[in-house]
Amino acid sequence: MAMGLAGNKTVSRGRGGALVIVYRAVVCAALALLFAPGVNPIRFSGLISGNVSLFTCVVSRGAVLTPFTRALMRGWIDAGLLNLVYFCGFAMALAVAAMAVGGCVSLGNRPLRRLGCRASLAGSAVGLFVSLALRIVAGRFAALEESSRVDPLVPVGMLVFTAVFAIAAAMSAAALLSQDVRRPRGSVQAEAAEPPAMPAKYSLFLMALPFVALIVVFSYMPLLGWRYAFYDYKPGYALTADRFVGLKWFAYLFQNAATKADIARVMRNTLAMSGIGIATSWLPMAFAVFLTEMNSAAPRKLVQGITTIPNFISWVLVYAVAFALFSTEGFVNSTLMSLGLIAQGGNALMSGANIWLKMWLWGVWKGLGWSAIIYVASISGIDQQLYEAASIDGATRFGKMRHITAPGLTPTYFVLLLLSIANMLSNGMDQYLVFRNQMNKQTIEVLDLYVYTLGLASGGNSNISLATVVGMFKSLVSVTLLFVANRASFLIRGESII
Amino acid sequence: MTKHAGYKLTGGDIAFHTLNYAFFTLFSLACLFPFYYLFINTISDNELVRIGAVRLWPRGVHLGNYIKLLSVGDIGQAILVTVGRSALGTGLMALASAFMGYLVTKKEMFARRMVYRAVVITMYFNAGLIPWFLNMSMLGLTGNFWGYVIPSIVAPFNIILVKTYIESVPAELEESAAIDGAGYLRVFARIIFPLSRPVLATIAIFGAVGHWNSFTDSIILMSSQPRLYTLQHRLYIYLTSTSNLGALMSAGSGGAVTEAAIASTLNMRTMQLTVAMVTILPILMVYPFMQRYFEKGIMIGAVKG
Repeated sequence: MAMGLAGNKTVSRGRGGALVIVYRAVVCAALALLFAPGVNPIRFSGLISGNVSLFTCVVSRGAVLTPFTRALMRGWIDAGLLNLVYFCGFAMALAVAAMAVGGCVSLGNRPLRRLGCRASLAGSAVGLFVSLALRIVAGRFAALEESSRVDPLVPVGMLVFTAVFAIAAAMSAAALLSQDVRRPRGSVQAEAAEPPAMPAKYSLFLMALPFVALIVVFSYMPLLGWRYAFYDYKPGYALTADRFVGLKWFAYLFQNAATKADIARVMRNTLAMSGIGIATSWLPMAFAVFLTEMNSAAPRKLVQGITTIPNFISWVLVYAVAFALFSTEGFVNSTLMSLGLIAQGGNALMSGANIWLKMWLWGVWKGLGWSAIIYVASISGIDQQLYEAASIDGATRFGKMRHITAPGLTPTYFVLLLLSIANMLSNGMDQYLVFRNQMNKQTIEVLDLYVYTLGLASGGNSNISLATVVGMFKSLVSVTLLFVANRASFLIRGESII
Repeated sequence: MTKHAGYKLTGGDIAFHTLNYAFFTLFSLACLFPFYYLFINTISDNELVRIGAVRLWPRGVHLGNYIKLLSVGDIGQAILVTVGRSALGTGLMALASAFMGYLVTKKEMFARRMVYRAVVITMYFNAGLIPWFLNMSMLGLTGNFWGYVIPSIVAPFNIILVKTYIESVPAELEESAAIDGAGYLRVFARIIFPLSRPVLATIAIFGAVGHWNSFTDSIILMSSQPRLYTLQHRLYIYLTSTSNLGALMSAGSGGAVTEAAIASTLNMRTMQLTVAMVTILPILMVYPFMQRYFEKGIMIGAVKG
């Protein structure tokens, strides 16, 4: 490929030597510390939760101010001091950001390396200054008249950040002086020969970096939340060593009678509803086969268009539809009553009977037309000559379905079947949440809904740690199932599915 | 299909087609009728609706419910939030998918395979609801409008779709631009972005529908901020808790209401159905435009990453 930035040839290669690499590593470490809850440098009081990182404090000021609402009201602490704390945190975060930007820029050629190292040096100098100034803040916390009320403490993070800023300052200064970075001897001419430029591979990488950062923050950082499974966690408290309970919640899952019964019930619901879905997973295929048997195109397109609509409305709207049709004044009751078939209408949605079947039926109503599309597309990919040849040989309609269409669709069906087996535990919670009520909640609660209810929606009885344990099991089992399904696919068809 | 052209229809064929057409007609009716039923109940005489007397055609047509709805309760705010998140979230997602999809096709990128894998793996694995929630609250995105938008910017599946699509575009186009001295950003803006418009339209439409329909994130993240509830969340509340509706109705009719006044102006059932209709309407309206992207979308999706 002849791709690349204009003037690529003049870009000096090489990573800039060992010192520069160490300097970048230090910058990365500082960036990671920004997100680490244990080393929040501005946690000057036990009132600030030990679970919030410096980053959290900076993006949501409430994390710093809210815990002091009472203390502020009683005059135990003045707002100025808190604002100072917040300001210091903000300045430190900015310093780290400057260091990080410098680190990115230092991936370029010599002039950019120099620029990057300078930015990082400036950032770490500011950071060092602020973290030294924090000592004064710590002193003021300790000197508060009612200091016992605000539980003053000297944050470990303050020391850690001081050290990191000091090291970063030293490293970026050292890198700045190294052979690979400093201005070559003799000058202005040499400088003019090498304008600032970034090698293509790094400029591409830096362009992707913001998105990679988003992925890390929203998809990988939650994994850190698994540590809650090993603590006795109550919202607002810190994950301190004395709250560490090891495998208590894992054991609890198998020992506590009530929880055990809940899990058994929830698993039965989950597996039953997934099982019905898997057992009828051939329905979309049949739907597609019969749909393509319609012998003129216009009605076929129309049917396909209409039957896909329900897939695009949310489960709340499906519930609204169900409500319109099946509630006491709904279409079904009022029609049956006006025909004299029943004397008294009842609310079918409030009954707990046959919930698994009803949920399956709503799933079919919503998803059948949509799931059939992929099969319709596959059928149109089957060679028409096969059908013609079969007709000449006297094959019947059903014979052709069985011997040509079905084998043609099997690979697609097989992949989707394996995926639905791998997703057995993930029914999602939307459908079951909206249809849940007092009458049916015993039989409608699936694993996803149970985790939500247990962890976030039980008011004072919510148990975040236990819900995390259940969620962990679910994630691990799902991934295992996926690998097994993938392996099975590979063994049977010689092709993997992921 | 032309499979049977030229052959005479036998009796069996006729029976088959009759049954087949009958089945699909019924199923289509089952998919359409609920929306029609919902609609006629929102424009019919409210008292008839309350007792369930409007079944197959509207009776006593009026548009009062829709007009009242806008002045009532927090529907307006919910619509604002939902439209806002749909527009912003979809726009950013489509742009990010296009750009990221383009970047990962560049073989010369540093650590390209690692970057691409890091993106793809997240489709198959997640930490679970609770850790996700704790992470969001740690980031200050609970009770915050940006909590709807920022996490949805990077959509792995859409990145794969765009990447696959760009790989099918002839490389010569790009190369000639590069020879003319265009940088990556310029090539992306001038060539790749315009070329991938069809696939971007597909993911944007699906993304917008997803944003419009999502309500669990509203329930989980915004529980402390009712003004940030999405339309779906509001509808859910109206459908499931009757006490909220009572308050809503009295607010809508100025506070002092008699039983009779409620019956003639707004009642719970018309209210619920009207909110539902308002929520469905945008979907039904964009649906005809979406349709042409279905097969395209699902078939590109079938290609592995």
